[in-house]
Amino acid sequence: MTVSATRFEQMFLTGARCIKDGAVLFVGFHWPMLMARIARRLHAPNIVIVYENGIVEDRLTPILPTSPCDLVSAEQATTCAGSLETLFMWLASGRVEMTLVEAAIVDRYGNINTTAVGPYLQPKVRLPGSGGGTELSSLGRDLLLVSASVNSRSYPERVDYITSPGYLGGGDERERLGYKPGTGPKTLVNPLGLFKYDANGEMYAAGLHAGITPAEVQSIFVWPIKVAADYTALPEPTAAELAIIREELAHAKKRYYLMPED
Amino acid sequence: MTTGIKPVLSMREAVARYVPDGQELLIGGFAFSDPTALAHELIRQQRKRLFVMKTSGGVLVDQLVGAGCVERLLSCHVWNSVGPVAAHCFRRALERGKPNTIQIEELSYGSFTMSLFAGACDLPFMPTTPVQGTGHFTQRTFMPQKFGVVENPFGGGPVCVVPPLKPALGIFHVQRVDQFGNAQMFGPTGEMRYAMAACKKLIVIAEELVDTEVIRERPEATVAPGFMVEAVVIEPWAAHPTDAYGYYYRDLPHHALYGEMTKTEDGFRRYVDEWIVATGNHAGFIAKLGKERISELQIRKEGW
Repeated sequence: MTVSATRFEQMFLTGARCIKDGAVLFVGFHWPMLMARIARRLHAPNIVIVYENGIVEDRLTPILPTSPCDLVSAEQATTCAGSLETLFMWLASGRVEMTLVEAAIVDRYGNINTTAVGPYLQPKVRLPGSGGGTELSSLGRDLLLVSASVNSRSYPERVDYITSPGYLGGGDERERLGYKPGTGPKTLVNPLGLFKYDANGEMYAAGLHAGITPAEVQSIFVWPIKVAADYTALPEPTAAELAIIREELAHAKKRYYLMPED
Repeated sequence: MTTGIKPVLSMREAVARYVPDGQELLIGGFAFSDPTALAHELIRQQRKRLFVMKTSGGVLVDQLVGAGCVERLLSCHVWNSVGPVAAHCFRRALERGKPNTIQIEELSYGSFTMSLFAGACDLPFMPTTPVQGTGHFTQRTFMPQKFGVVENPFGGGPVCVVPPLKPALGIFHVQRVDQFGNAQMFGPTGEMRYAMAACKKLIVIAEELVDTEVIRERPEATVAPGFMVEAVVIEPWAAHPTDAYGYYYRDLPHHALYGEMTKTEDGFRRYVDEWIVATGNHAGFIAKLGKERISELQIRKEGW
């Protein structure tokens, strides 16, 4: 009997597959942490994860942390340093090969808003703010954005506040302002599929999950998003893969993670 | 800054002596080692108009905002990281001005770190990685000079710079301290080493007071040598519900309880009455948590 994955579960597989075994990763809070953990269990046991607070984790922690600063994250640490090391000596310097960051609200050019919806001084919805998100997006190489949302509000044409810079207004704006070449979002995964950025910094759909049509993608994004003519049909998880994803999601629930359906 | 034996104060005395209304105060912790016991005492003593600086706001800042203690806030984020759920008081203050309006100024964690580093080293400014084009670069409230851009004097284009941040007072949670103020932290330290050195006056809240010979066993764990420290507070479990590396875990049920109770203003007032006012002091708060919870959270590590 085959049990098919939900789109949310499928997202973890698609994201995890972007992670190469042995890579040094900078992992931001929330779903990226679970995604990296799933990758470690599936095919990438040798990844080395850096968290902004100073922790270097090179093997599976017994307990899933609720955030990087939930110090069960340090239970297997090989290094406990500080933010000058993590953000500047390792991330800015290019020693970290891949960065994963959550993108709750993300626009056409990969700019992320985690600060405020509506006018900054009179926000309709006030969100937490940057934390290290600005640096993850400004400095991260092979930057992977993760969004569990399939709500149009999460994909505006232009975010109200750029917390974490993508390609800003598109074109060469990012480089002109002094951002290093090679930085900027490369990929986004969400329950619909896998997205890439074109030469102008605009996001387009490059691969879709089973059962997702280009029309459905276009109905969710606020701007007329392009879908590659030769988009990939992304592979579904095997029973063994899905079992691990579900085990980790159950673990997350026990650790007080709120699930999208909650 | 002086050498010698440092005063050991109760939290009540420390707040009464060092934190008057209107005080500029950097509070240590980065969602771990958040000195929640300090926030509770500020609320008990009904402090007003504080200028609070804290990199990671968390439940601690949410409580101070909800209780009306804060006029100005410099931060890089404020949230309840278990769930995660919103920092409800923070949202009410910024969306609806309840219980009072607060002024907020924001930095990213990296630029906050660099500002503190500049302050710690008494440098005129520090370069930082690019922030241009972001919301925090353009939106400026009470710190209009929080960022600048200079031309790289060695060639190569624009460079984002931050001014030195030198908080008038810093209060930090650490794991242990001796009578001379030698303060030790274990585990990750985030920006704490630079933040402590940036403050003009520094008070540490420690889980335990230990003999100097114990400090000497792990000198690399000293984050502030005694000559940087003005006074000491000994308060076990001061960082609950966040974690203290090697001492106790993050209390997830309490984070969830706080998130649930503070959804409404009434609920927040009930939380303050039950958990902060009625408990009288931090020992009372810990007694209310109960022995069972405490033993679940406690970590026993020998031979630090």
